[in-house]
Amino acid sequence: MHPFDIKTVLLAKHAQHVVLIHFPIALFIIGVLFDFLAQWRKQLLLAAAAYYNLLVAAIATIPVVVTGILAWQWELEGQKLKGILLMHLVMGCVSSVLIWVVWFIHKRTRRKHEEALPGYRLPIEAVAVVIVGLTGHLGGFLSGVNGPG
Amino acid sequence: MWIVGMAATAVVALGLLLAGSPKVAANTQQAATEVKIDNFSFGPVALTVPAGTTVTWINRDDMPHTVVSMDDSKTFKSKVLDTDEKFSFTFSKAGTYPYFCSIHPKMTGKVIVQ
Repeated sequence: MHPFDIKTVLLAKHAQHVVLIHFPIALFIIGVLFDFLAQWRKQLLLAAAAYYNLLVAAIATIPVVVTGILAWQWELEGQKLKGILLMHLVMGCVSSVLIWVVWFIHKRTRRKHEEALPGYRLPIEAVAVVIVGLTGHLGGFLSGVNGPG
Repeated sequence: MWIVGMAATAVVALGLLLAGSPKVAANTQQAATEVKIDNFSFGPVALTVPAGTTVTWINRDDMPHTVVSMDDSKTFKSKVLDTDEKFSFTFSKAGTYPYFCSIHPKMTGKVIVQ
Protein backbone atom coordinates (compact mmCIF):
# COMPACT_ATOMS: atom_id res chain seq x y z
CA MET A 1 0.00 0.00 0.00
CA HIS A 2 1.36 3.40 -0.96
CA PRO A 3 1.31 5.75 2.06
CA PHE A 4 -0.28 8.55 -0.01
CA ASP A 5 -2.84 6.40 -1.81
CA ILE A 6 -5.89 8.17 -0.34
CA LYS A 7 -8.43 5.88 -2.01
CA THR A 8 -6.84 2.74 -0.61
CA VAL A 9 -6.57 4.27 2.85
CA LEU A 10 -10.17 5.50 2.93
CA LEU A 11 -11.58 2.25 1.58
CA ALA A 12 -9.62 0.08 4.01
CA LYS A 13 -12.53 -1.02 6.15
CA HIS A 14 -10.37 -2.05 8.99
CA ALA A 15 -7.61 0.54 9.15
CA GLN A 16 -9.25 3.76 10.35
CA HIS A 17 -10.11 2.52 13.83
CA VAL A 18 -6.53 1.49 14.44
CA VAL A 19 -5.29 4.93 13.40
CA LEU A 20 -7.96 7.12 15.03
CA ILE A 21 -7.83 5.41 18.41
CA HIS A 22 -4.52 7.08 19.24
CA PHE A 23 -6.11 10.56 19.38
CA PRO A 24 -8.55 10.11 22.30
CA ILE A 25 -6.05 7.99 24.21
CA ALA A 26 -3.30 10.59 23.99
CA LEU A 27 -5.60 13.58 24.54
CA PHE A 28 -7.34 12.02 27.51
CA ILE A 29 -4.17 10.91 29.29
CA ILE A 30 -2.49 14.28 28.79
CA GLY A 31 -5.74 16.02 29.84
CA VAL A 32 -5.81 14.07 33.09
CA LEU A 33 -2.13 14.81 33.62
CA PHE A 34 -2.81 18.53 33.18
CA ASP A 35 -5.73 18.30 35.59
CA PHE A 36 -3.62 16.60 38.26
CA LEU A 37 -0.91 19.24 37.73
CA ALA A 38 -3.50 22.03 37.91
CA GLN A 39 -4.78 20.58 41.19
CA TRP A 40 -1.28 20.35 42.59
CA ARG A 41 0.08 23.69 41.36
CA LYS A 42 -3.26 25.59 41.62
CA GLN A 43 -2.87 26.96 38.12
CA LEU A 44 -5.92 27.99 36.10
CA LEU A 45 -3.98 27.78 32.83
CA LEU A 46 -3.27 24.10 33.38
CA ALA A 47 -6.93 23.56 34.31
CA ALA A 48 -7.98 25.21 31.04
CA ALA A 49 -5.52 23.05 29.10
CA ALA A 50 -6.96 19.99 30.82
CA TYR A 51 -10.51 21.03 29.93
CA TYR A 52 -9.81 21.49 26.23
CA ASN A 53 -7.80 18.27 26.00
CA LEU A 54 -10.66 16.39 27.62
CA LEU A 55 -13.18 18.07 25.29
CA VAL A 56 -11.30 17.06 22.13
CA ALA A 57 -10.67 13.58 23.58
CA ALA A 58 -14.40 13.14 24.17
CA ILE A 59 -15.23 14.30 20.63
CA ALA A 60 -12.53 12.01 19.22
CA THR A 61 -14.19 8.98 20.82
CA ILE A 62 -17.14 9.31 18.42
CA PRO A 63 -15.33 8.37 15.17
CA VAL A 64 -13.34 5.78 17.09
CA VAL A 65 -16.45 4.01 18.37
CA VAL A 66 -18.13 4.31 14.95
CA THR A 67 -15.14 2.88 13.05
CA GLY A 68 -14.71 0.14 15.65
CA ILE A 69 -18.32 -0.96 15.26
CA LEU A 70 -18.05 -0.70 11.46
CA ALA A 71 -14.92 -2.89 11.50
CA TRP A 72 -16.88 -5.43 13.52
CA GLN A 73 -19.85 -5.28 11.15
CA TRP A 74 -17.89 -5.25 7.91
CA GLU A 75 -14.87 -7.42 8.57
CA LEU A 76 -16.51 -9.91 10.91
CA GLU A 77 -20.06 -9.46 9.58
CA GLY A 78 -21.33 -8.60 13.05
CA GLN A 79 -20.88 -12.11 14.34
CA LYS A 80 -21.18 -12.72 18.06
CA LEU A 81 -17.92 -11.77 19.72
CA LYS A 82 -16.17 -13.62 22.50
CA GLY A 83 -12.84 -13.63 24.29
CA ILE A 84 -10.44 -10.75 23.72
CA LEU A 85 -12.57 -9.19 20.97
CA LEU A 86 -15.60 -8.99 23.27
CA MET A 87 -13.48 -7.67 26.13
CA HIS A 88 -12.02 -5.01 23.84
CA LEU A 89 -15.50 -3.94 22.68
CA VAL A 90 -16.90 -3.71 26.22
CA MET A 91 -13.88 -1.93 27.64
CA GLY A 92 -13.80 0.43 24.67
CA CYS A 93 -17.41 1.44 25.31
CA VAL A 94 -16.74 1.85 29.04
CA SER A 95 -13.65 3.95 28.26
CA SER A 96 -15.63 6.23 25.94
CA VAL A 97 -18.35 6.75 28.54
CA LEU A 98 -15.77 7.51 31.23
CA ILE A 99 -14.02 10.07 29.01
CA TRP A 100 -17.35 11.82 28.45
CA VAL A 101 -18.16 11.65 32.19
CA VAL A 102 -14.82 13.22 33.10
CA TRP A 103 -15.30 15.98 30.54
CA PHE A 104 -18.87 16.57 31.76
CA ILE A 105 -17.68 17.01 35.37
CA HIS A 106 -15.28 19.71 34.16
CA LYS A 107 -17.92 21.27 31.92
CA ARG A 108 -20.51 21.43 34.72
CA THR A 109 -18.05 23.17 37.04
CA ARG A 110 -17.20 25.75 34.38
CA ARG A 111 -20.89 26.32 33.60
CA LYS A 112 -21.69 26.98 37.26
CA HIS A 113 -18.67 29.28 37.50
CA GLU A 114 -17.44 27.33 40.48
CA GLU A 115 -13.81 27.90 41.30
CA ALA A 116 -12.90 24.44 42.50
CA LEU A 117 -13.46 21.23 40.62
CA PRO A 118 -14.96 18.45 42.77
CA GLY A 119 -12.36 16.23 44.41
CA TYR A 120 -14.17 13.03 43.47
CA ARG A 121 -13.20 13.55 39.84
CA LEU A 122 -9.58 12.61 40.54
CA PRO A 123 -10.21 8.91 41.38
CA ILE A 124 -12.65 8.73 38.45
CA GLU A 125 -9.96 10.13 36.16
CA ALA A 126 -7.38 7.70 37.55
CA VAL A 127 -9.68 4.71 37.00
CA ALA A 128 -10.53 5.97 33.51
CA VAL A 129 -6.84 6.22 32.60
CA VAL A 130 -6.29 2.62 33.73
CA ILE A 131 -9.29 1.34 31.74
CA VAL A 132 -8.30 3.35 28.65
CA GLY A 133 -4.78 1.94 28.95
CA LEU A 134 -6.04 -1.63 29.30
CA THR A 135 -8.38 -1.19 26.34
CA GLY A 136 -5.53 0.14 24.24
CA HIS A 137 -3.32 -2.72 25.36
CA LEU A 138 -5.95 -5.25 24.25
CA GLY A 139 -6.34 -3.40 20.95
CA GLY A 140 -2.60 -3.46 20.37
CA PHE A 141 -2.54 -7.15 21.17
CA LEU A 142 -5.39 -7.79 18.73
CA SER A 143 -3.84 -5.75 15.96
CA GLY A 144 -0.63 -7.74 16.25
CA VAL A 145 1.74 -4.88 16.92
CA ASN A 146 3.77 -7.27 19.06
CA GLY A 147 4.12 -9.79 16.24
CA PRO A 148 4.99 -9.92 12.55
CA GLY A 149 1.33 -9.42 11.61
CA MET B 1 18.98 -72.66 12.56
CA TRP B 2 19.97 -69.52 10.74
CA ILE B 3 17.06 -70.08 8.36
CA VAL B 4 14.63 -69.97 11.26
CA GLY B 5 16.25 -66.74 12.45
CA MET B 6 16.00 -65.16 9.01
CA ALA B 7 12.39 -66.25 8.65
CA ALA B 8 11.48 -64.83 12.05
CA THR B 9 13.17 -61.54 11.18
CA ALA B 10 11.32 -61.42 7.87
CA VAL B 11 7.99 -62.10 9.57
CA VAL B 12 8.62 -59.36 12.13
CA ALA B 13 9.72 -56.93 9.42
CA LEU B 14 6.66 -57.74 7.31
CA GLY B 15 4.39 -57.28 10.33
CA LEU B 16 5.94 -53.90 11.11
CA LEU B 17 5.63 -52.87 7.47
CA LEU B 18 1.97 -53.79 7.29
CA ALA B 19 1.18 -52.23 10.65
CA GLY B 20 3.22 -49.09 10.11
CA SER B 21 2.49 -48.12 6.53
CA PRO B 22 -1.13 -47.05 6.87
CA LYS B 23 -0.25 -44.89 9.87
CA VAL B 24 2.58 -43.22 8.02
CA ALA B 25 0.35 -42.66 5.00
CA ALA B 26 -2.44 -41.27 7.15
CA ASN B 27 -0.10 -38.86 8.92
CA THR B 28 1.32 -37.63 5.62
CA GLN B 29 -2.18 -37.09 4.26
CA GLN B 30 -3.26 -35.24 7.41
CA ALA B 31 -0.18 -33.02 7.47
CA ALA B 32 -0.65 -32.06 3.84
CA THR B 33 -4.22 -30.81 4.33
CA GLU B 34 -3.75 -28.87 7.52
CA VAL B 35 -2.82 -25.22 7.83
CA LYS B 36 -1.58 -24.10 11.21
CA ILE B 37 -2.19 -20.51 12.31
CA ASP B 38 0.53 -19.39 14.68
CA ASN B 39 2.50 -16.24 15.49
CA PHE B 40 0.34 -14.15 13.13
CA SER B 41 1.00 -16.31 10.08
CA PHE B 42 -0.42 -19.25 8.15
CA GLY B 43 1.76 -22.32 7.77
CA PRO B 44 2.31 -23.46 5.12
CA VAL B 45 1.68 -20.16 3.35
CA ALA B 46 0.98 -22.02 0.09
CA LEU B 47 -0.64 -25.44 0.19
CA THR B 48 -1.06 -27.63 -2.91
CA VAL B 49 -3.79 -30.27 -2.80
CA PRO B 50 -5.75 -32.38 -5.29
CA ALA B 51 -9.36 -31.45 -6.05
CA GLY B 52 -11.84 -32.78 -3.53
CA THR B 53 -9.49 -32.31 -0.59
CA THR B 54 -10.75 -30.90 2.68
CA VAL B 55 -8.33 -28.38 4.14
CA THR B 56 -8.45 -27.66 7.86
CA TRP B 57 -7.10 -24.51 9.48
CA ILE B 58 -6.23 -24.74 13.19
CA ASN B 59 -5.61 -21.64 15.25
CA ARG B 60 -2.61 -22.35 17.51
CA ASP B 61 -2.09 -18.64 18.20
CA ASP B 62 -3.08 -16.78 21.37
CA MET B 63 -5.03 -14.33 19.22
CA PRO B 64 -8.35 -14.76 17.42
CA HIS B 65 -8.03 -15.09 13.64
CA THR B 66 -10.26 -15.67 10.64
CA VAL B 67 -9.82 -17.44 7.30
CA VAL B 68 -11.46 -15.54 4.44
CA SER B 69 -10.98 -16.11 0.72
CA MET B 70 -9.98 -13.02 -1.23
CA ASP B 71 -12.29 -13.51 -4.19
CA ASP B 72 -15.37 -11.31 -4.48
CA SER B 73 -17.78 -14.16 -3.92
CA LYS B 74 -16.01 -15.14 -0.69
CA THR B 75 -15.76 -18.82 -1.57
CA PHE B 76 -14.98 -19.65 2.03
CA LYS B 77 -15.16 -17.58 5.19
CA SER B 78 -14.70 -18.79 8.74
CA LYS B 79 -16.12 -17.38 11.91
CA VAL B 80 -13.65 -15.88 14.38
CA LEU B 81 -11.39 -18.74 15.46
CA ASP B 82 -10.18 -18.60 19.03
CA THR B 83 -7.20 -20.60 20.22
CA ASP B 84 -7.39 -24.28 19.16
CA GLU B 85 -10.56 -23.77 17.12
CA LYS B 86 -10.72 -25.23 13.61
CA PHE B 87 -12.25 -24.39 10.26
CA SER B 88 -12.52 -26.76 7.31
CA PHE B 89 -13.39 -26.28 3.66
CA THR B 90 -13.54 -28.80 0.81
CA PHE B 91 -12.04 -27.61 -2.48
CA SER B 92 -13.93 -29.30 -5.28
CA LYS B 93 -12.64 -27.22 -8.22
CA ALA B 94 -9.10 -26.74 -9.44
CA GLY B 95 -7.61 -23.29 -9.12
CA THR B 96 -5.71 -20.96 -6.82
CA TYR B 97 -7.51 -19.71 -3.74
CA PRO B 98 -5.77 -16.84 -1.97
CA TYR B 99 -7.07 -16.05 1.50
CA PHE B 100 -6.33 -13.76 4.45
CA CYS B 101 -7.24 -13.06 8.07
CA SER B 102 -9.82 -10.27 8.15
CA ILE B 103 -8.67 -9.17 11.63
CA HIS B 104 -5.03 -9.01 10.52
CA PRO B 105 -5.09 -8.32 6.77
CA LYS B 106 -1.32 -8.73 6.47
CA MET B 107 -1.75 -12.42 7.22
CA THR B 108 -2.20 -14.12 3.84
CA GLY B 109 -1.94 -17.58 2.34
CA LYS B 110 -3.17 -19.59 -0.61
CA VAL B 111 -4.45 -23.02 -1.47
CA ILE B 112 -3.54 -24.37 -4.91
CA VAL B 113 -6.02 -27.03 -6.01
CA GLN B 114 -4.83 -29.25 -8.88
